[in-house]
Amino acid sequence: MWNWDYTLLILPQILEALKITVSATFVAFAVALVVGLILTLARRSDFKPLSLFAQGFIEFVRSTPLLVQLYFIFYVLPEHGLSLSPFIAGVMGLGLHYSTYLSEVYRGGIESIPPGQWEAAKALNFTPLETWRKIILPQSIPPVIPVMGNYLITMFKETPVLSAITLVEIMQTAKMLGSHSFRYLEAFTIVGVLFLVLSYSSSLMVRRLEVRLNLR
Amino acid sequence: MSVPLKVIYNEESTKSIGNDLRKVAVQPIVNYSNISKSYGDLQVLRNIDLDIAPGEKVALIGPSGSGKTTLARLLMTLEEPTSGTIEVDGEMLWHQKTNGKLVKANEKHLHKVRGNIGMVFQHFNLFPHMTILRNVMEAPRNVLGLSKEEAMERAVTMLKQVGLANKIDAYPAQLSGGQKQRVAIARALVMRPKVMIFDEPTSALDPELVGEVLEVIKAIAAEGEMAMLLITHEMDFARDVADRILFFDQGRIIEQGSPKRIFNNPESERLQTFLSRFNRH
Amino acid sequence: MWFDILPSFWEGAKITIQLTLFSAVIAFFLAFLAGFGRLSKIKAVRFLAATYVEIFRGTSLFVQLFWIYFALPLFGIMLPKMLAGVLALSLNAGAYGSEIVRSTIISVPKGQTEAAIALNMTPWQRTWLVILPQALVMMLPAFGNLIIEMLKGTALVSLVTLADLTFVATVLNSSIMRPTEIFSVLLVIYFVISLPFTRGIRWIEHRLSAGRY
Ligand SMILES: Nc1ncnc2c1ncn2[C@@H]1O[C@H](COP(=O)(O)OP(=O)(O)OP(=O)(O)O)[C@@H](O)[C@H]1O
Ligand SMILES: [Mg+2]
Repeated sequence: MWNWDYTLLILPQILEALKITVSATFVAFAVALVVGLILTLARRSDFKPLSLFAQGFIEFVRSTPLLVQLYFIFYVLPEHGLSLSPFIAGVMGLGLHYSTYLSEVYRGGIESIPPGQWEAAKALNFTPLETWRKIILPQSIPPVIPVMGNYLITMFKETPVLSAITLVEIMQTAKMLGSHSFRYLEAFTIVGVLFLVLSYSSSLMVRRLEVRLNLR
Repeated sequence: MSVPLKVIYNEESTKSIGNDLRKVAVQPIVNYSNISKSYGDLQVLRNIDLDIAPGEKVALIGPSGSGKTTLARLLMTLEEPTSGTIEVDGEMLWHQKTNGKLVKANEKHLHKVRGNIGMVFQHFNLFPHMTILRNVMEAPRNVLGLSKEEAMERAVTMLKQVGLANKIDAYPAQLSGGQKQRVAIARALVMRPKVMIFDEPTSALDPELVGEVLEVIKAIAAEGEMAMLLITHEMDFARDVADRILFFDQGRIIEQGSPKRIFNNPESERLQTFLSRFNRH
Repeated sequence: MWFDILPSFWEGAKITIQLTLFSAVIAFFLAFLAGFGRLSKIKAVRFLAATYVEIFRGTSLFVQLFWIYFALPLFGIMLPKMLAGVLALSLNAGAYGSEIVRSTIISVPKGQTEAAIALNMTPWQRTWLVILPQALVMMLPAFGNLIIEMLKGTALVSLVTLADLTFVATVLNSSIMRPTEIFSVLLVIYFVISLPFTRGIRWIEHRLSAGRY
């Protein structure tokens, strides 16, 4: 049933596509980190329309499927003159989707800062920008790094969805190999095992990081 | 079960009981025999021998970390002894006989023997999702198998006794610390145990609430028939309520005797030092 | 205008909602089974539960669905689309749900179990009368979020051609080519379906923070 010769034949091609998967993961993660922070700050803004917009955006994006958001970016934007490659559309979609999750992470970190820190910054006559840059963010981000690490892993596992907008990452490669030979078992199993091994070992690393951070 | 009657206050277990020694030839309700307990390398209890007579009120005093709570938790089956045996009303607690051999007790055996014991905790441990009445009714109903009416009647009687009949429908979060602890006492009493453990029942309370809880415990003690193991830092209370005081240090019973003897003529230096800290204020 | 395409979504919406609800029920069951399994005294049970959870959390729903639908037939197991969808969704969400069950159960303070032991409750009674009622309340918001994740996950079944909302939209798009309207309407429909859940979660969280706990 399982064909080892065939497995060895297709393995290099799937591993080759892993590069695309990994780079899509990291670029999308960077998007999520930046947009997530912007959303968090917008949500805390005193300017009501801005904070309401951020809140609405977060709720809407979090309650609708990533796949449909990708279709939206990939098929709707070109109608309005913005054609994107599958890679760009993919990392934008994945990044925006998870920016709403990361904004919650930032928020948790910021809300755990004791009010005394804000007051101290005021007493030292810091500008709001300085307060954020020098006092609040440096204290609120390190404790949430493990949570961010877990989201990086989650985003890595979600990249197969990008194959739906024809990005040739490992899942798309496996689908193509499978449809050529009418054998999906080996290709999909390789993909599954790859994800399992990589994400499980990274999550162990995150757990270790968490322990180290807690010890400090 | 035929268990040889024991002499309470085993002579070897203590050097300093002197004239307070009351030899009572009845079966103890609780018997610790050569009990030791270790957590890894840390030995918390060292070869403890201790008998408690039916109805006897024993107070356990001693410095923090000396093993008082651990001694009580072994009896409540919350912690397992490393070696030694405990008997309750003549029956092994942590062991049972299977085919003539002594083996570790199973849950069924523990369940049978544990029914004789009740416990009041330092931090109350009330069930937050149940009303006061249900906190007190739940075990009579489900563990003793009483009908709803019987369980409710018993629970209400008990709550009246601790002065909380008017709080029946409240939730624990709506009560003061002193009221919570009185509910916890009612909840334990309603099971009618033969031995009741109180582990520092007032040390989590604001000072002004300590009195009401101690009063309730005193009243229960005065009723007589139930044995009590009282762990406390309230020396006046221990003197008033206890028949016997045990001074505990570093996992051993250092000295024991009547309250009068222990407080007026402490023999060991450690007990003297320990008591002097209380006498200063 | 856009509302002329609305009726076409009706059949798809039915499939999406059915898929979510069926899978949620099974996932809930699996979550308790695996959650308690991981807390079992028996090592083999703990191992089995942990293996299930790590496998289904270590890969994504996408890979699991494709594996069940395309790779299982090579073992002679050919599942209808709906069943493959429900199986993948519930196995996946069950693994996440088991973490919810496990973490809330161990977050009930130890003193609660000890009080239950002191009242001579059996292990069964400790769980059902004391631990679970307290854990369940804490689980509700997390389970609400999980259902929303499941609703979002259902969109993937369109890729194995099960005619859910997303599938209907892609088919419609390839025939009438009005992506802006079709995909906007599609996003809004998902949002509307999720609303009762997000509102429900918020209501429960509010009750919890204001309530007697
Ligand atoms: N689960 C445990 N694991 C490891 N060590 C423990 C554990 N429980 C208790 N100990 C240790 O056993 C010793 C005795 O503890 P115990 O709680 O019995 O003391 P105690 O006399 O009740 O003190 P206190 O007056 O502070 O309540 C302490 O050193 C404590 O740190
Ligand atoms: Mg103690």
